[in-house]
Amino acid sequence: MTANAYELIVYILTLLGVYEPILNVFQVLGIEYIFKILIVLVEVGILFVFVLLTVMFLTWMERKVVAMVQARYGPMVTGPRGLLQPVMDGVKLIGKEDIIPAKADRWIFTLAPFIVFIPALLVFIPLPFGQSLIISDLRVGLLYIIAISAVSPIAILLAGWASNNKYSLMGAMRAVAQDISYTIPLALTAIAIVLFTGSLSTVDIVNAQSGTWFGIIPKWFIFLQPLGFILFLIASIAEMGRIPFDFQESESELVAGFFTEYSGMKFAMFFLAEYAHLFAVSGIVVTLFLGGWTFPILPFVPAMLVPLVSLGIFLVKTYAVIFFAMWLRDTVPRVRIDQLLNIGWKIMVPLALLNLLLAGFLVTAGVF
Amino acid sequence: MIDVVFVVISIVTILSSIMVIQAKKLVHSAVYLAGALIGTAGLFILLKAEFIAWVQVLVYVGAVVTLILFTIMLTRKGEEE
Repeated sequence: MTANAYELIVYILTLLGVYEPILNVFQVLGIEYIFKILIVLVEVGILFVFVLLTVMFLTWMERKVVAMVQARYGPMVTGPRGLLQPVMDGVKLIGKEDIIPAKADRWIFTLAPFIVFIPALLVFIPLPFGQSLIISDLRVGLLYIIAISAVSPIAILLAGWASNNKYSLMGAMRAVAQDISYTIPLALTAIAIVLFTGSLSTVDIVNAQSGTWFGIIPKWFIFLQPLGFILFLIASIAEMGRIPFDFQESESELVAGFFTEYSGMKFAMFFLAEYAHLFAVSGIVVTLFLGGWTFPILPFVPAMLVPLVSLGIFLVKTYAVIFFAMWLRDTVPRVRIDQLLNIGWKIMVPLALLNLLLAGFLVTAGVF
Repeated sequence: MIDVVFVVISIVTILSSIMVIQAKKLVHSAVYLAGALIGTAGLFILLKAEFIAWVQVLVYVGAVVTLILFTIMLTRKGEEE
């Protein structure tokens, strides 16, 4: 059994009988580490392409779900059932003129989309997509995820400030206020999980959830921590800035919020980052509460197929969470800004603390 | 190999620290400060202190956001030019 994607690639190359010869060539040249770097680049490249394809699919899925809720067809013209619509959107956005407002701060205005985009991709590094399908099993994986998510408010604030537009600035200020207040319940509910596992590594968290109670109920943390699950889900949706918490871009008040002035490829980068974030956050919810890639049928699957089957299980669960977020977006109206901050500070934070206390009791009682 | 990485991260950290006091606009200073702090986190990773590195990013980068917020609130646009 291999521990991460690097070892999996080495294992597959060995099975094909090409690992040793290639390694020998590099060893003769004395540049063995370049071979290692190449393998890492290949796995990161696969992850990057996978995330970009998922993001394109998600934009299509979002339109289809909205259409379904509103009893329309959604995109139908390009490709089978409109599946090629994201490609056309991408081509259109690349072809558009890249406008920088005259009074904008050019340097920061250009930098902000990149600072949004990079953390959205970095979050995927310690995310277990399946057994041994993980780029790197960091010992502090969960802390890493929370820390990297803390970088994106900076980019939003910079984008809003650099645009030199009052709507952008207001959107950015709202986004940051929201981000700061909802990170606290998010981190507190994650800590409750860490109490159970005793480890911050995402792989350890998933492994702790394999197996069943009484042979039927899977050992997922959602059954131990139902309150924690609800709080984490609400806080994640608020962090993503989706309806009902989309204050950063509430279009009836702020045009488009912090990216009002952006166009062309830079706008596309904000858009991509948003959907990459949606995918990442759903993956994190699945990893923490819904058992990650584990499922009670997994022990009966032949060992060779386990990485593929577990990837399938993970994707099914993740898309279920994503579908829930999209469904929520289409059914619930936006809350007011004062309601948002009240919910965050007066309800979510105390409930998260209560949840932490319950988790402490459960651990002390030896339930887990 | 490690030495090269160390030198590169150090240069980035030192340069952005200098730019923090050189930059004309407060928001630019805050961005350079974020760069310097992330560079320091990189140095912690080189020392194999992952936990401190990510706490550094979490705490200090979060602090930088609040800092930028205050610079925006306390300065008026157009005054600084």
